[in-house]
Amino acid sequence: MNNHLRTLRADRGWSQADLAAALGVSRQTVNALETGRYDPSLPLAFKIARVFEQPIEAIFSDTGA
Amino acid sequence: MSRSEISTQPLVVKILGGLALAAVGALTGAALANAIEGRNMPWADSLALAMAVALITIGVLSAITMALRPSTVPKGCGVLQIVVFLLAGAMFLAPMYASAFVTADTVFAGIAVLLAVQTVANVMLWRRADEMLRQVMAETSAIAFWALQTALFLYAAAERLGLVDTISGWGLTGILMAVYLVSSIAAAARRGIH
Repeated sequence: MNNHLRTLRADRGWSQADLAAALGVSRQTVNALETGRYDPSLPLAFKIARVFEQPIEAIFSDTGA
Repeated sequence: MSRSEISTQPLVVKILGGLALAAVGALTGAALANAIEGRNMPWADSLALAMAVALITIGVLSAITMALRPSTVPKGCGVLQIVVFLLAGAMFLAPMYASAFVTADTVFAGIAVLLAVQTVANVMLWRRADEMLRQVMAETSAIAFWALQTALFLYAAAERLGLVDTISGWGLTGILMAVYLVSSIAAAARRGIH
């Protein structure tokens, strides 16, 4: 699964630690999300969408199928 | 949300840090090899000592890393992880060395207490971890279980056939911890955790 997390975060001038604090996860998790090493659960994906005030499909895109 | 950038370490600092860690690893490994060779230890005790040194070294290095991090970086579950590593290391050392100072019953009672404390720490770690760390822990358990049950079956069949010697419970515990450590490294590396 692809995502635009790094771009969205950079646009807002947030650090990985800032985003991690907003999402209630570790900085390592934010890094793994941004580098595509970890796909978030549905609840975390919704939380990310709320933090960036965008729909989920604007942040994540499916690479398969 | 406030802006608070994490200080990005220059490449030179990273290289020096890597070299320092390599030096610590080399010195620790050399000291361990000397200790094992000099005392002519059984392989099960050698493995247990190696596991204890590895666990304690990981715990100490984690504590140093945590102390050196910028204050803006959340501490997360770091303290609990350090406690778990150090207690595991102590529990591997106690059966081999503590009985020189106190009775075997006392050593065993102490180990039981340490195990209880470590179990509580492990439960707290699971409850406080975020979803990715929980997934890493679950994957570690799955990898270790698959590897160990495969190896145990092969060993048990060979032992039943009289092809290999019986391994003590102490030796099996050392093997279990070694496989678990390697499994945790593999599971963490998949998520980019070093």
